[in-house]
Amino acid sequence: MAANDVSPSPGRLGHATGAFRLPTRGGRLARKLVIGTGLAVYSWVAASAAPFSRAALLFVLLPGAVLAAIAIWRPPARIRPPDRLDVAGFSYWAICVAALFEWEASAFKDNARTWHPSLTDLINPLITPHPLKSAAILLWLLAGWALVRR
Amino acid sequence: MATRVITIIGFACVITALFALEIIGRRRTTRVPTLGEWLGYLMRARAGRAGILLGWLWLGWHYFAR
Repeated sequence: MAANDVSPSPGRLGHATGAFRLPTRGGRLARKLVIGTGLAVYSWVAASAAPFSRAALLFVLLPGAVLAAIAIWRPPARIRPPDRLDVAGFSYWAICVAALFEWEASAFKDNARTWHPSLTDLINPLITPHPLKSAAILLWLLAGWALVRR
Repeated sequence: MATRVITIIGFACVITALFALEIIGRRRTTRVPTLGEWLGYLMRARAGRAGILLGWLWLGWHYFAR
């Protein structure tokens, strides 16, 4: 996700109505470090919540609410989407995503975890260790921020 | 056990294809968009934006709250 094509012009796209800007490069770097550390700490704490617990649910809903609030009331500078995409190029992504969903659905429908594991069955054991789950949550948070900027 | 391996290989193929598309999309002369451009294109409409963001939220709930 390239960040260097952010439009600085006002409007719905590329308009940072409420973005707090520090004047110096060092200040921006410090702000990024603080936010990054905060997100890492949040991810670490969130990963310690027991599955199916209210805390685990809140740790997921809170970033969703914060991002929704930012998107609505303090939208960041958005990366301008392409005006048009090549049909073939667009289709390659659509086909791959559809294939992933179809493969997942067929494994889910089969309901035989041993023989036809779903993607969830395969990923869950990988993110069981606390550091890996923290990293996955951090990645999810960063993906959410990247999506808000799109 | 063979069907389990086939299922896993299927997932691996699709995920590899997704990564390949991203790598191809980052080349200078290509018709293939990057994932960000593709999602950005889908998110131009408000419904698309809401759908993608809800999908992101669902992903978090599915993997981290359950």
